[in-house]
Amino acid sequence: MDRVKTGITGLDDMLGGGFLPKTANLVEGAPGTGKTTLGMQFIYNGITQFNEPGIIITFEEFPKQYYYDAAAFGWDFQELEKKGLLKVIMTSPEVSKLGVESVGGLLSQHIQQMDARRIVVDSITHFGRLTQDPIELRSLEFNFINALKREELTCLLTRESPVLLGENTEDAGIGFIVDSYIVMRYVEIESAIRKALFVLKMRGSDHAKDIRQFDIVANGLEVQARFEGQEGILSGSPRRMADSFVKAFVKR
Amino acid sequence: MASNGDDFTARLMDDMDPVLLDFVKTKVNSFIKWDLVRFFHENPHTADTVENIAKYAGRNVSAVEPELEDLVENGIMTKTQLNDTTIFTLATDDEMRSLVDKFILACEDRHFRVKAVYHIIRGMR
Repeated sequence: MDRVKTGITGLDDMLGGGFLPKTANLVEGAPGTGKTTLGMQFIYNGITQFNEPGIIITFEEFPKQYYYDAAAFGWDFQELEKKGLLKVIMTSPEVSKLGVESVGGLLSQHIQQMDARRIVVDSITHFGRLTQDPIELRSLEFNFINALKREELTCLLTRESPVLLGENTEDAGIGFIVDSYIVMRYVEIESAIRKALFVLKMRGSDHAKDIRQFDIVANGLEVQARFEGQEGILSGSPRRMADSFVKAFVKR
Repeated sequence: MASNGDDFTARLMDDMDPVLLDFVKTKVNSFIKWDLVRFFHENPHTADTVENIAKYAGRNVSAVEPELEDLVENGIMTKTQLNDTTIFTLATDDEMRSLVDKFILACEDRHFRVKAVYHIIRGMR
C-alpha cells in the first residue's frame, strides 16, 4: 500500500511506513513538545524529498515566525514559497472553513494552483472559537476535514493539550474523526524532562504500540528508542520496573 | 526666510526614488496603511476578515477598515466575498508585489523612513 512518508527518522517505522494517503492525522501535545516542528518537517520533507507541494495553515502564529523557526533547522521556507512549492497561510477557522467549503474558495484556489498534496493545520484546537456546543464543533471539524480530503490532501492537524505532565482528561471528540492519532507527552525521569511519543490509533493499518523517546535535534525531530525499564510513562512520572521483571522480560 | 527653509526641507524630503515618493504620497499615506503593508509583506498569504486583521495589527476595526478599503482601491490588496464574509488578501499582481517589496526594502534605510514619515504627516494635515 502507498504511504505518505513523513521523512522523520523513526516516525515512519512507527506508522508502518508513513501515513495513508488522503487521510487526516492528528498530532496532540502540550506546548513546546514539538507539534509545529513535526508539522513543518512533514511539509518540508514532502517538498524536498517526495516532490509533494504543501500548505501550512496557521490560526495564531504569524507566518514570519514559521520562516524564522524553519530557518533554524536549515529549511528555507521563503525560497520554497518563491518556487511555488509551499504556502504558509495565516487565516482564521471561520475563513478557512468557508475557503474549502465554497466553490472556488481561496484555499481551493491555492491547492489547485500549487497541486498541493500535503497540508498542516496548526492548530485545529482553534475551531473551538466557532462554537461552544461540542456536537456542533465535531460536525464543523468533520466537515472541514472532509473538505480537505476531497481536495485529495494528506492532512496533519495539530491539537493543543493543556496538560504538561500526565494524561489528558479533556474530551477529544476529534480523535474519533481522524484516521490516525499521535500523542506527544512530557515525561519526568530522574529529575529530567524527556519527551515521549506514541501512535494511539491508525485506521486501516498496523502501527507500533510502544512509547518512544524523541528529541528535537539540529535537523528537526528524531524519534529514538522506546523507554526501557520504565512503566507508567503516560502518567508523566514513570516508575522504574522491578529489576527481576526487567531481567526476565525486557532485556531478553 | 522661514518659507525658504520649508522649501529646502521639502526638496530634501522629496529626494527619493520618484516611484516610491508617489507610493508614499498616494498609496501608503497613513501609518496604519504602512503597518498593514508591512504585515502583509511579512505574512504574504494571509487571508482574513477585517476584524482579525485589526487584531493582528493591534488596532481598532473602525480604524483599519477604511484603510484596507483604500489599499484595495489602490490595487495593493484584494477583497473577496465568501457568502456574507469579506476577506482581504495581498494583491497577487507581480508589479504591485515588487513595488511593495521595494518599499519595505527602502524602509530599512533610516533616511528613507524619516522622509516617508515626513510625507505621511504632511499628507495628514
